[in-house]
Amino acid sequence: MINILRWIVFVLAAFAMNFPILVTLATSFKSARELTANPGLWVQAPTLENYATVFTVSDRLNIFLYLVNSFAVAALGTLLAVALALPAAYAIARGKMGERTLLPLIVNLRAVPLVIFAIPLYMMFQWLSLLDTRLGLGLILTIVNLPLALVILVNAIRDLPAELDEAALMDGATRTQVLMRVIAPLCRPAIVTGVIFGFITAWNEFLFGLMLTTSKAVPITVGASFFFAASGGGVQWGVASAVMIVGALPPMLLGLLMYRQISGSMTAGAVKG
Amino acid sequence: MTTQTQRTSVAEFRLLAVPLVLFLLVFLGFPAIVNLVYSVSQVSFETLRSPQITGFGNFAAVWNDAAFWQASWFSFRFGLLTALLECGLGLFLAIFLAPLLEKRSWLMAILMLPLMVAPALVGLMYRLVLHEFAGPVPYYLWTWFGASLSFLGPGSAFWTLIVVETLQWTPFAFLLFYMAYQAIPREIVEASAMDGARYHHRLWYIELPLMAPTIVVALLIRFIDGFRVFDNVYVLTGSGPGGSTASLSIYIYEAFFKQGAIGKAVAASVILFIASFTVLYGLNALAARRKGATR
Repeated sequence: MINILRWIVFVLAAFAMNFPILVTLATSFKSARELTANPGLWVQAPTLENYATVFTVSDRLNIFLYLVNSFAVAALGTLLAVALALPAAYAIARGKMGERTLLPLIVNLRAVPLVIFAIPLYMMFQWLSLLDTRLGLGLILTIVNLPLALVILVNAIRDLPAELDEAALMDGATRTQVLMRVIAPLCRPAIVTGVIFGFITAWNEFLFGLMLTTSKAVPITVGASFFFAASGGGVQWGVASAVMIVGALPPMLLGLLMYRQISGSMTAGAVKG
Repeated sequence: MTTQTQRTSVAEFRLLAVPLVLFLLVFLGFPAIVNLVYSVSQVSFETLRSPQITGFGNFAAVWNDAAFWQASWFSFRFGLLTALLECGLGLFLAIFLAPLLEKRSWLMAILMLPLMVAPALVGLMYRLVLHEFAGPVPYYLWTWFGASLSFLGPGSAFWTLIVVETLQWTPFAFLLFYMAYQAIPREIVEASAMDGARYHHRLWYIELPLMAPTIVVALLIRFIDGFRVFDNVYVLTGSGPGGSTASLSIYIYEAFFKQGAIGKAVAASVILFIASFTVLYGLNALAARRKGATR
């Protein structure tokens, strides 16, 4: 009996929390005519015409550009963050380097309103001609991803027995060699988690995309809103919905496939950080 | 011999941390200095490279700006209310649904799905959901009750945003609590059952106290994220109606990009910067002391 109640609560919660996604998915399959007649959740005559419109490149809108931009900046922002965090995490976990300065500083970064740094970074990027470039946005996303990457990697290395390092050092390896040959391979699960989580975070970032890009490097989170005003008149909700589904799909698929790793890393960042 | 290797070890550890430190100096240290200099300068988009240091006029301008205090109050209320709602709902779901989820972990993926979608896109999605002609919520309210609400109007926009934020981030709190609940040692629960403790006693006196640290952390994280909210609020209401839904992040963004008031925007950034780091380091120190006390 109580189990039936549990199922009811689960279905209600899942429905309420995923409601905007469901509505958008349904609307993306409605023709313009059906939309005005039927705003409900049920689609009477599903059509792909909205997706066809979205994937048609016009002189003003180019979904492929936004998707490639998002992919490129998310990849750069994730890989660079992990590449910077791994050696530093090793120095923190094993060398007790910056355990009381660097680590709390970076962990606190996760909690600071990012807009604080947005204005000086905007000025700096203007001087360096990094405004509206993928490189520029990727570098910023590195900062966004650093805190969690560092926490995950420090925890992973602390969990490895120090005897591993000592054995390799006895054999004449340097610390750098120990890191690359012994520690890094053993941290592979943590690195994978950091990369997945970082990629999703970077793909979903909006504020810096809005401030630092205008046309060439616009990511999908910002580009999606361009479609809202596409036709001059009112919003074409079918097309707008199709764009949002396309933009939300990559991280959603990653999340569905990797939810175990992600739930682990969220708790690691929260509880141990 | 050992001190020799130890010394080279220390040098090598330092070297390994250098790239990260350099990166932070360039991308955070430099902006911090720019912030500090510009906050006490007179500057516009034309004189961006040659700011004139003039004193604390910008801080006074922010301090005397009613919109700044309105935005601070919005951020604080928004952070507090969403944190409480998300953690309350998340805690209930985590404990009540645990027997269901233990057997079928894939159900977790469904509950976690909202976390994967960009808050900016979720905000845009709610523009559709709440749209008076194309949106299903007003549509169903009309068909079932013959009336609808103006969800983004003056009185209700704040509460609509609270619901939007809560529905997207309750899964985060839920996830933390579910993990903490699973981590409670079985023996303790079984022992209490043997002693004849009832379900709600066990929950109240054993399980919830064991989860207390996680609850504090979750409340804190959700408060911080609610306090610095930008994406979903910005795309859903801008800052309207009448600036009533401007968070501090939106206040700073608009001062800079819409009004060109660089000095004011930067001064507000510095205030926020100092306030957040003071609070965060205070909390760290508190946590460290508590840890030391329990040991």
